[in-house]
Amino acid sequence: MSLNFISPVFMLGLLGVGLPVLVHLLTKRQVTHIKFSAVYLLRSSHKKSIRRSRPNRLLLLLFRCLAVAGLSLSLAHPIFSFTGTGVFLASKPAANVFILDDSYSMRLTVDGKSLFNQAAEYLTDAIGQIPANGAVGLALASAPARRLQGWGADRQTLGQKIESTQASFATTQIGPAVKEALDLLESSPQEIKRIFILTDLAKNGWTEDEFPEIPSRVPPVNINVVDFSPESSGINRAAIQGIEVGQEFLANRRTVRIKAKIANLLPEKRLSRLPVSLWVDGKKIKDRWVDAFSGLSSEVEFSIPLQGGGPLEGRVEIGEDSLNEDNRRYFIYQPEQKLNVLLVDGDPNTVAHQSETFYLERALNPFASSTSDIEPTISTLAELPRRDIRKFSAIILCNVNELPFDYERQIEKFVLQGGGLIVSLGDKVDPGFFNKKLGALFPVTLDALNQVGSGDEPFRMKLKEKTHPALKVFDAKTRQQMEAIRFHSIFSSSPREGKNLSIPISFSNGTPALIESTYGEGKTILFASTLDRDWNEFPIQPTFLPWIQRWVKYAARGLGTIARKDLMVGEAYRWEDEGEPGFVEIPTGAFKTFAAADINAPLFKGTAIPGVYKIYSASKNNLKPAPENASTRPDLGASPIGFFTVNLDTEESRPQKISPEKIQKLLAGAAVEIIEPVDSLAAQADDGSFPLAGPFLLLAALALLGEGWLVRRE
Amino acid sequence: MVDSNQLLQSSELFSRVALLKVRAKDLVEGLLSGHHRSRHKGSSVEFAEYKDYSPGDEIRHIDWKVVGKTDKYHVKQFEESTNIKCTLMLDSSGSMGYQPPKENSAEVSKWNYAQVLAAALSYLFLKQFDAAGLVLFNDQAVRRIPPRSKPSHFQNILNELAAMEPAGNTGLGEAIGQIIERLPGRSLVILVSDLFLKHDDLEKNLKLMRARGIEVVLFHVLHPDEANLPFEGEIVFESLEDDPPIGLDPYEIRESYREAIQNQISAYGKICASLGVDYEFLQTSEPLEQALSYYLLKRNSLNKQ
Repeated sequence: MSLNFISPVFMLGLLGVGLPVLVHLLTKRQVTHIKFSAVYLLRSSHKKSIRRSRPNRLLLLLFRCLAVAGLSLSLAHPIFSFTGTGVFLASKPAANVFILDDSYSMRLTVDGKSLFNQAAEYLTDAIGQIPANGAVGLALASAPARRLQGWGADRQTLGQKIESTQASFATTQIGPAVKEALDLLESSPQEIKRIFILTDLAKNGWTEDEFPEIPSRVPPVNINVVDFSPESSGINRAAIQGIEVGQEFLANRRTVRIKAKIANLLPEKRLSRLPVSLWVDGKKIKDRWVDAFSGLSSEVEFSIPLQGGGPLEGRVEIGEDSLNEDNRRYFIYQPEQKLNVLLVDGDPNTVAHQSETFYLERALNPFASSTSDIEPTISTLAELPRRDIRKFSAIILCNVNELPFDYERQIEKFVLQGGGLIVSLGDKVDPGFFNKKLGALFPVTLDALNQVGSGDEPFRMKLKEKTHPALKVFDAKTRQQMEAIRFHSIFSSSPREGKNLSIPISFSNGTPALIESTYGEGKTILFASTLDRDWNEFPIQPTFLPWIQRWVKYAARGLGTIARKDLMVGEAYRWEDEGEPGFVEIPTGAFKTFAAADINAPLFKGTAIPGVYKIYSASKNNLKPAPENASTRPDLGASPIGFFTVNLDTEESRPQKISPEKIQKLLAGAAVEIIEPVDSLAAQADDGSFPLAGPFLLLAALALLGEGWLVRRE
Repeated sequence: MVDSNQLLQSSELFSRVALLKVRAKDLVEGLLSGHHRSRHKGSSVEFAEYKDYSPGDEIRHIDWKVVGKTDKYHVKQFEESTNIKCTLMLDSSGSMGYQPPKENSAEVSKWNYAQVLAAALSYLFLKQFDAAGLVLFNDQAVRRIPPRSKPSHFQNILNELAAMEPAGNTGLGEAIGQIIERLPGRSLVILVSDLFLKHDDLEKNLKLMRARGIEVVLFHVLHPDEANLPFEGEIVFESLEDDPPIGLDPYEIRESYREAIQNQISAYGKICASLGVDYEFLQTSEPLEQALSYYLLKRNSLNKQ
């Protein structure tokens, strides 16, 4: 049972009670003594009037005192609680660190007010309740967790700091914030050390690895977790988890496909007919509806024709809910005019037509003056490490024996980020190396080389999936021609356990001819024979050219470059292209500069807001990086030299809350208490808390009424 | 050897007696000098009226001339011109000693007023060769001077009046009980009091006297302060008798107190009227001459009726 005051400063008003008392004393007349004859008559008269006259002065005084006291107490916002413990009052001077969760999940709006604003108001009030001899520090819990204010600041400064703080778009990092708080507490001489964590308990922010070990001490560090999580879950219905943008080269006209992954965050309810809209260059282009089962994701795909060569800047939006920040996701896409493909020749030869890539290069770009939208680049294994494979949409390894040392990791990363990888086999290929080093990329292991004996029937292809995107354009006659091609040597392979794969083409003996799988964002394709004439006659067949072109385009998926351009909030952007970046136009329209630390690989760290960021080159007069937040801007009319997008990490949107048991475990060593935020707005009778401001105000009004009645009566 | 204090007290007493005498004489001399007619019919030279003869009447009082003329027996009645034996009963309890607060000290005190009234009445009676006596009482008869008609008796009365200081509680019943047996029958008792009777029943006491054929005149004397309670501020009222003190703001009870006093006066008036007692309410603010002459005129006019 406790009585707390939200605005205890108004308790000073209780001193005003002395005013009526003073008036009463000052106006009290001096007592005189008179010898009188009819005292017994006075007494009987006094008895008659004693009830209405004698106590009136005392009643008047009482009413006036009650009015002043009632008014003061009501302004102080007293909260009476049967269960509360008066957490902000300590028996001795205490060091208090408040950790304010300013992650974007705190932007969730409940009753017209965001959780962050509720927490900030609560924090302001709570600091007001800390006794003057208590020390107060502040830390913020959004990534990266940081100290906002150390010891020594007065209450006004703290209030200004809180007022100027806004909820970020970053995720929660309670662990590092607790570490900051503990470091701050270490520097305090106060014996009682307390941490208050004002958070919505989003599970994402309570990562076990990030929590420091809490030192055991006497008395233990007291950690109060103030739970601001909304009572009704599922207010945040859905979030856009990701967007994939790809260019469709297989169609006759070039189109861009935008695929949005929308997660249903409602724990027990199916989302039906959630509106999804595509916005490009500030205009709504298309609308869709999407359904999603509880806790699962659905994908919505938009196809729009590509017009012009400029970058495609836009966003996907879903219907509004209580947390709108995760209802939109930005993308920027630079469509490719050419599909750059790197051909790695594992068996180069000075005689051109004997090189492994001879037929392949001509099939991909059949004329000297390139009319194809594929731009092949041939590289030997020795040249490979010097190549920047991020500039290519696809890589074709032709009869490669062994990759340069550790190069398979780069290729893995390349595929992971959306690149296409096609591997054709040959006599140089070492199945051991393939199975060991490229095992992660391919869902099969190479078993043995199968060769046709003399007089035996050669192997032939069987096109199993006629509706496959890469094969559907071929008519029956062409397919028949393809299936008539003879193969002398092929590699047999076996699928790896637990890997997804598809075999659109197999050989007549049943072994897979073409094995397709996905890895990360990219695709891998293994062709179980050669792409030159060593093991088959396919390269000299008329069907080879469209066949290989379609598979390359299919594998590349139109990704012009795979340099990473979609960042999370707070993630630094590293400029790795040519040219010198000078400024970045952030989504608010302001300009910022790259960090000065590393001029060779400039970094931009100001990715605090989701949206599209445009990079401009440094002007001649401003070659040296300007300080952060400088008001310099690029020359008028300058065109961006690069783009990137910053989006939310939707892990923070997940409605799962950390359990009290888990909190106790993570904060082992501290005296942990999870409390409800009790304020004038949120005070609920059912949790044993009563705001007493109203009753006290009523008391003051009644006292004034009584005082007026008495005065009028006299 | 005479003690100087006693001498001083005696000289003070003499001066007070002299002052009282002068005031009483002045007062009476200025008044209408007339006889008090006895209301008792008896043998006298002065014819009063006829009445029908009834057995027991003296035959010598039959007016034979009237018998001769009317053939009816009428008896002559005469005014009995006797000396009245008047006993002045002056309340000398503590309440009679009320003195107004210092700021009003110029006013006549109630005791002084009553003293002069008693002295003047004594003088008046003695001057008319009536007998005047004095009883000073509080809760008992403190002093008693039997009625005498000698002019020199006035000095005795004055001496007792001047020597008396009001003290003690009021006990009218006790005092009357003590003296009533010694009062001459069909005498006159003039009672001067503030009538602050806590326990006594005035009606009962008056009835007792009236039953014995005693004519009673009641002077109810109050100071204006006692009638109006004009005080202001927080006051502790200390009783002149034995009541415990009480602290209050007179403002708060003024109305009810005045009402109580008015009720008391009204009640006394009604009681006296019902018992044939002359009741006169006097406030010390009224000039005594005026009050006394007004009363005498009223009494004379009553007698003539």
